[in-house]
Amino acid sequence: MTQLSISGLTVRYGGVTPLDSVSLCFDSGVCGVIGPNGAGKTTMFNVLSGFSVPAAGSVELDGRQLLRVAPHRRARLGVRRSFQQEQVIRTLTVRENVLLAAEHSGAPAASVERALTYVGLEDAHRKGSELTVLERRLVEIARCVVGTPRLVLLDEPAAGLDPEESAHLLELITGIPDEVDALVLLVDHDMDLVRAACKEVAVLDFGRLIAFGRTRDVLASAQVRRAYLGVTEDAE
Amino acid sequence: MNLLPFIIAGLVIGSVYALSGVGVLVLYRTTGVLNFAHGAIGGLSAMLAWQAMQLRLLPGVAIGFSIVVGAVVAYLFGLVAGPYLARIDELRKAVTTLGFALVLLGVMLYCWNDKARTMQLPTSRIAFSIGDGDRWYARINLTQLLCLALAVLVVVATGLALRYTSTGSAMRALASDRELAAVLGTRVRVVESLAWVLSGAIGAASGVVVADQTRLEPAFLTFLIIPELAAVVIGRFRSLSITLLAGLGVGVGQSLVSSQENLTAFSTAVPFLLATLFIVLTSGRRVVSIGVVRE
Amino acid sequence: MIVQRFMGRHGTAQLMAGIAVGIAAAIIVPDVPGIGDGLGLRTVTVALIYSLAGVAAAVLYGRLGLVSIMQVALVAVGGWATLRLHYLTGLPFEVVMVLAAVLTAVIGTVLSLPALRLSGLSLAIVTLMIAGALEVITQYFGFPNGGHGFAGYDTTGVAQTMPRPWLGHSDPAFFRYVVVVVLVVMVALWCVLSARPGRTWAAIRQGDAGAIASGINVTAYRILALAVTSAVTGLAGALLAANSGVLDPISFKAQQSVLLFATVLIGGAFSLFGAVIAGLLFYAFPQLLTSWGVNGNLVFVVLGLGTVQAITTTPTGIAGQLGGLWQVVRRRLSKKSEAHR
Repeated sequence: MTQLSISGLTVRYGGVTPLDSVSLCFDSGVCGVIGPNGAGKTTMFNVLSGFSVPAAGSVELDGRQLLRVAPHRRARLGVRRSFQQEQVIRTLTVRENVLLAAEHSGAPAASVERALTYVGLEDAHRKGSELTVLERRLVEIARCVVGTPRLVLLDEPAAGLDPEESAHLLELITGIPDEVDALVLLVDHDMDLVRAACKEVAVLDFGRLIAFGRTRDVLASAQVRRAYLGVTEDAE
Repeated sequence: MNLLPFIIAGLVIGSVYALSGVGVLVLYRTTGVLNFAHGAIGGLSAMLAWQAMQLRLLPGVAIGFSIVVGAVVAYLFGLVAGPYLARIDELRKAVTTLGFALVLLGVMLYCWNDKARTMQLPTSRIAFSIGDGDRWYARINLTQLLCLALAVLVVVATGLALRYTSTGSAMRALASDRELAAVLGTRVRVVESLAWVLSGAIGAASGVVVADQTRLEPAFLTFLIIPELAAVVIGRFRSLSITLLAGLGVGVGQSLVSSQENLTAFSTAVPFLLATLFIVLTSGRRVVSIGVVRE
Repeated sequence: MIVQRFMGRHGTAQLMAGIAVGIAAAIIVPDVPGIGDGLGLRTVTVALIYSLAGVAAAVLYGRLGLVSIMQVALVAVGGWATLRLHYLTGLPFEVVMVLAAVLTAVIGTVLSLPALRLSGLSLAIVTLMIAGALEVITQYFGFPNGGHGFAGYDTTGVAQTMPRPWLGHSDPAFFRYVVVVVLVVMVALWCVLSARPGRTWAAIRQGDAGAIASGINVTAYRILALAVTSAVTGLAGALLAANSGVLDPISFKAQQSVLLFATVLIGGAFSLFGAVIAGLLFYAFPQLLTSWGVNGNLVFVVLGLGTVQAITTTPTGIAGQLGGLWQVVRRRLSKKSEAHR
């Protein structure tokens, strides 16, 4: 069981406030973080993975103060992150890519095989440069599930994939909590993906949290639909 | 010890560093190219000016000619290499100019060999005394005064031009986002060529002055790029005024260190020491992502 | 089956081939007329020594994307340390060599560290500054020749020279000694590059953000790279000192560091073989030109143009071109053998 507590998180720079007093609590499972562009979703991920320093607030992961930990040390605590622009290393093979993630997060080398089997990439000798877009996304998932991850941050993991490939990826994402008992936070603009994968969803707008709860309820709320889905009462 | 002559000399050399630093910075901000060959262009111009004066040309004509050649050489390099450079990252752009510097150095050594020569501009023969008699006095010549004045003038003019003229705005637009500037109608190639010409002319002028002040030697002049770049680094590749001050600082620093007998050899370490000191003092604790060569 | 898996580890076949060629060269070259005697052999020996400095620059550039234009200056540091330690301690050359390498590693790392935290371009500039500073400092201090004091330089009395290592007295023997050291270093580097450090460096090169997110301490691994490459360069300095017993500051001007970097780009910064080509281009090529009566300064022009060409059109250098050619040949041959079946 993973527990993530975010309390009063505020980020400010250059006169802008990308995150404003956001407080959330998550447990294991797949949870979505949605909102219009500029709502602060990626900023939140940046704070969780250490690329942004908040002006105020705290983050607790399994009782541990995350913000005090240096960015590169968070992987050892079980924080994994994928980026919108995939970061598969072109000059290394699939196996080496996943092995690297294992080595630097303190996972045993044996877990590499398990991760590769989970995503279905058994032919692991091909170089990163030889892979298709889907295969690169799969490598990223494998890197996220190797060892014992606690918090997996997926930033638009299905970007660049067609519906069929997205569905395949969706299955893998929803399976992560069962496979490794981690909390998966998913940022995506594809509402079908969010609806299908996430049990809970948090909605951000202009840096503020405007809704949080079960996916079905949140997505049906009028306020959310107005802010994000752009649907007005009249159009209904 | 009477340090005034050293301070004066330091300010003069420093003003050349500042002048060159500004030339490099303007080109870098406009095109993304950090020109390691800036010193070599100066050296080439200095050698040409000397050669022209040896051939009995009037000094004014010789210098004018050499500055024009410097500007043309820079322009041609920007023209020919420009399309290739536009496609690669800034680190590789800089390395390419390093190759260009080698070519220029080779040409200079081939034409004139590495014998150390002297060049004295006629303005150097006119000198003034400053300071009071006993412990604090020096002589300063017209070239040095002109150099100081030129440096300040060029830096101020460049700063004003960048801010208030349309070409200057175009250069700043290019510096911040080349593609966006092009979309907005900036004539990218024209503005870039202008930057190369300006940078080349500044480099040429600095080279001629430095050769008069120190020595006329191809390799020495080529590697003056080192203190010049120190000024640019300290100015964080951004600020004209800090580059000016940094250039002066490096010049005075080098001069003062060389005034101490047992420390003379370390005056060449001053650019490194100042740049490093500055870097250490100003970089805070943050997640650093540095530019490397990526395919 | 086992052989297949071993060979499958990419690059192993090339490594084996490289070792074989190296051993063959060690045995044969001194007996080749024209190259293998007198000046020719000494030239090739020094070229090989410089290829160690070249491989250091190549690893930094090819594997980490870092431009370090001070390798020859570090060679001077390694050479100075070797000579000083020799006169100070009288320990066998091998021990002194290792100590000098460690010292060079420390110095190279410490000097580059601040700039590394600023930007890659700043590192390039700062390393050039270091090369410039060391040019004058070596001129001032000179290289130790048995004198007293910290600098160990005696301008007045009898200047001593450091003797060659016990196993490498004669020119052919020293050549083989150098080949062995170069092979050992190349194999060691290959092992490091194929293991975790190499993988980590590849990740860092791909993107700092992705690397940090994977748990990599980017600065620490860059320091490691600087330390390892500086140590290798220090070894080169030690061998150079052993070669002639004394070093001349004139060999360590700032332009030499720039030229070496140029030859690394031209030779190929992405393979260990490219570094060997770099060493030959750096040291043997100018000697060749001079012996043909061509003005030595044209080397600058050739290498400068080569640099521009290497950056803009052939990033993998000569070694890469040759490698590509080899692949083409292999494919043709395998097609032919298939057609025959």
